[in-house]
Amino acid sequence: MSPREEAFLPDELLRQLMSVGEVDLIVGIRAHHDGAAIEQVIQQVENFCLRTFVRDRIALIGIDGHRNGASPAIEEASPLYRHSGALRTVHRLTIGSKIHPADGTTVRQLFSTADLLRAKAVAMISPSTAQLPQEWLTNLLSPVRRDNFDYVAPLYRRHWNQGLLIRTLLYPMTRAVFGFRIREMYSEDFAFSGSLLARSIDHDVWQEEAFRSRTESWMAVQALETGMPVCQAFLGQKDYPVSASGAAIVDAIRQAVGTLFSLMETHQNFWQTTSGSVPVRTIGPEHELIVEPVRVNRSRLFEMFHVGVSELEGVLRLILSPETHAEIRALAAADGGKLVFPSELWVRALYEFAAAYHRSVIDRDHLVQALVPLYRGKIGAFFEENSDATPDSIEAGSESLCLEFERQKPYLIERWNATPEVPS
Amino acid sequence: MITRPQSPPVSGHASAKKDDGAWYKDALIYQLHVRTFCDSNADGVGDFPGLTKRLDYLSDLGVSAIWLLPFFPSPLRDDGYDISDYTAINPKYGTLDDFKAFLAAARERKIRVIIEMVMNHTSDQHPWFQEARNSRENPKRDWYVWSTTDTRYAGVRIIFSEVEISNWAWDPVSKSYYWHRFFSHQPDLNYDNPAVREAMWQVMQFWLDLGVDGFRLDAVPYLVEREGTACENLPETHEIIKDLRKRIDAAYSGKMLLAEANQWPADVRKYFGDGDEFHMAFHFPLMPRMFMALRLEDRKPIIEILEQTPELPEIGQWCIFLRNHDELTLEMVTDIERDYMYDEYAMDKTMRIYSGIRRRLAPLMDNDRRKIELLNGLLMSMPGTPVIYYGDEIGMGDNIYLGDRNGVRTPMQWSHGWNAGFSAADPEQLCAPLISNPIYGYQGVNVESQRRSPASLLSWMRSLIRVRNSTRVFSRGALKFLHPSNHRVLAYLRELDGERVLVVNNLSSSAQAVELDLRKYKGDVPIEMFGRNLFPRIGELPYLLTLGPYQFFWFRLRRI
Repeated sequence: MSPREEAFLPDELLRQLMSVGEVDLIVGIRAHHDGAAIEQVIQQVENFCLRTFVRDRIALIGIDGHRNGASPAIEEASPLYRHSGALRTVHRLTIGSKIHPADGTTVRQLFSTADLLRAKAVAMISPSTAQLPQEWLTNLLSPVRRDNFDYVAPLYRRHWNQGLLIRTLLYPMTRAVFGFRIREMYSEDFAFSGSLLARSIDHDVWQEEAFRSRTESWMAVQALETGMPVCQAFLGQKDYPVSASGAAIVDAIRQAVGTLFSLMETHQNFWQTTSGSVPVRTIGPEHELIVEPVRVNRSRLFEMFHVGVSELEGVLRLILSPETHAEIRALAAADGGKLVFPSELWVRALYEFAAAYHRSVIDRDHLVQALVPLYRGKIGAFFEENSDATPDSIEAGSESLCLEFERQKPYLIERWNATPEVPS
Repeated sequence: MITRPQSPPVSGHASAKKDDGAWYKDALIYQLHVRTFCDSNADGVGDFPGLTKRLDYLSDLGVSAIWLLPFFPSPLRDDGYDISDYTAINPKYGTLDDFKAFLAAARERKIRVIIEMVMNHTSDQHPWFQEARNSRENPKRDWYVWSTTDTRYAGVRIIFSEVEISNWAWDPVSKSYYWHRFFSHQPDLNYDNPAVREAMWQVMQFWLDLGVDGFRLDAVPYLVEREGTACENLPETHEIIKDLRKRIDAAYSGKMLLAEANQWPADVRKYFGDGDEFHMAFHFPLMPRMFMALRLEDRKPIIEILEQTPELPEIGQWCIFLRNHDELTLEMVTDIERDYMYDEYAMDKTMRIYSGIRRRLAPLMDNDRRKIELLNGLLMSMPGTPVIYYGDEIGMGDNIYLGDRNGVRTPMQWSHGWNAGFSAADPEQLCAPLISNPIYGYQGVNVESQRRSPASLLSWMRSLIRVRNSTRVFSRGALKFLHPSNHRVLAYLRELDGERVLVVNNLSSSAQAVELDLRKYKGDVPIEMFGRNLFPRIGELPYLLTLGPYQFFWFRLRRI
């Protein structure tokens, strides 16, 4: 007799669910342990939902609880009567990590909540999304609620020096690997259907690292693999802190690239059979770039590239092919002048990283972190190449990079499936 | 707290009845049309002798007041609201003696009688209007509102905008325009003329002297017109009502005035004055919200409107209803709510008329007995005097293919026999066709068969009314909403002089669990009022109840 699984929904949450019953829409708002910061967001979202999705049963779910014992911004299932123009009660629930602090538990609670409430559409947003025009939530939810899409990825208007990890790595590589042109598969803002939710939690996904850490990309790939309709929707301008160096970029690469490699691992039967890429339906403009001069310390980036490649020589030797490693070292050692990081080399190096991840040549987390100096070199070169560029030329460069990823995909498959060398 | 107890403490048991003259507060009103209730002389039209014959049925049901739709001589172009003689009986319905006999029989059964007082307008066939249009010098000329142009009172809304294009109609006889807020064949009386007020007072005296107990005053907000206003709810209208009320109080006792003012509660509240205008007024906005709450499975609409409802003076009482002879009016809802109601209750556009839905209760509820019972349970337990529209107690259907609102005005279904027991005339001769479809047809839905079944809707309604009438807490008690987190459950307490009733309604189509915070009543034992069964004593912990789909409970809370 197998041991009974431990209950993972707190009793208080269960009481809330009993009260809420069934809903049409759920908007999950990540509090990032700062209830006060999201108070305004919740109010905005609620007002907007009441105006836009007039007849729908709506639950707002705050995720992560609150900080320092401050009053929770999201009250527990408190019916609201102050919206005289609204037809229905709007529910507010809290999924906290007070009892189960692990991220995996929180995600599991959220998804189980959405499933138990039989939600037809779920949107996940981050507090910073409140900067966007109010229509953004319509763009995110309507494709699911009204047009039968099962997954909606966001699109943003960005400054040209923002979202570079997506532009130079995540988007082109994800596009080439999985065969669909979804630009922002690693964003905190996304939406999905009840059908996709049901299909997702049908698997025992709670132990999967990719699901726990980057649920949005896990679900996107799940939808793509099962042929469910996917689209992307333009939300407007979203500002991010500019962090081309420091711990933030390390964390971003560990999470996002680590997730991508993990997804490649779990969905290898799917992506190895695709070639090229196809567009998905886009609601609104596909991309908007703001080109304004920015001051970037390129020398510092190059120095970190140089130092990192040198310091990690032993690790990179285990990950990269000798040819690629040599070319990277040569690039990092170049003294002065303009750094050009060829797309062909960048793509080849990334594919070798992915294959090394697959073969677990070293600890996978360390492996992904070893990519950081290369990435710094790549974006240093990006700034070098695009300092006077127009939005169109930047986009053209990105498209060219995407095509290079697609062109080299057979190499990825070859490396991925190669028999590991037995150490002599 | 929404309302305060409206009567002084009564000694002894809280539900003990003391006659304070406010009989209307404790009444159970049954609304009917003489024409369609029972025909005694086989001419196909209901009449007073027929109605008198059916009084035992109403008495047995628990009815304590009858509200009669217009029974006066009329061209019947608006179901009798176009009166051509205010002090006579339409010959098709009988004679004045028949009416007197009906009144006496009703009094024997302790049933009060409320009649219509259509004050705002007459029929264009009324002798007053005939005189007024025939000569500009006639004294009756100024009994109506005339104009040489149709531009006066510009901007005033047209109530029947689907059939009228202006509030002015051209009179080819006197070659001038006359004012009408409703149909053009219903000219408005001119209440700025003291002679009109006097004439209407004489009409009221006529009926009061015969023994009627009250009037439903039709279309009250529109009595007076003033340039630059909406010509609704004007201060002068209130003065007219105060004057009538004063005259009634001076000459009679125990008479009641009921206002038909389809307005927001704050506007209707003004018609109670300081207790010196109306005794009762319909709560129009509550009615559609009960239907809305049921479909939304959300108590929000009901709580919102009752929280916006002002308190009434001591003598005042709301009159509440589910359906009546008119359309389910959606004037007092927002555009969003109206669209929702149309989509949910009247997808077929034939069902819609004048910003409303022309359907009876049972078809609106898809003939779902549980929903019909729940709505009646709400009606009987909410603050106010409930009105039952004839036939709804047996779940009668409607005929949306008849014109205007006539689909909800078909003959009462007494039996499965000839013409549903309504008339011995030939079917072709009936004043309106019977409902005969397989679901609501009189062959299956009728009084006779339901009387024989203890499980019928009629038997259940009788039981419901009996329980309601067992206490004054429903008719006079204060209302206090509970706010359990489950929004599909509407729970409230009715309290009067130490007596407490807990009402819990499941608005949803699925079973629900609800936890009620009843700590304030710790130690009380809930006793279910229909079966008189005891429930667990209330303690410190939330009181857990489970309810089946559309189920409701009435508990008397007793300290035993």
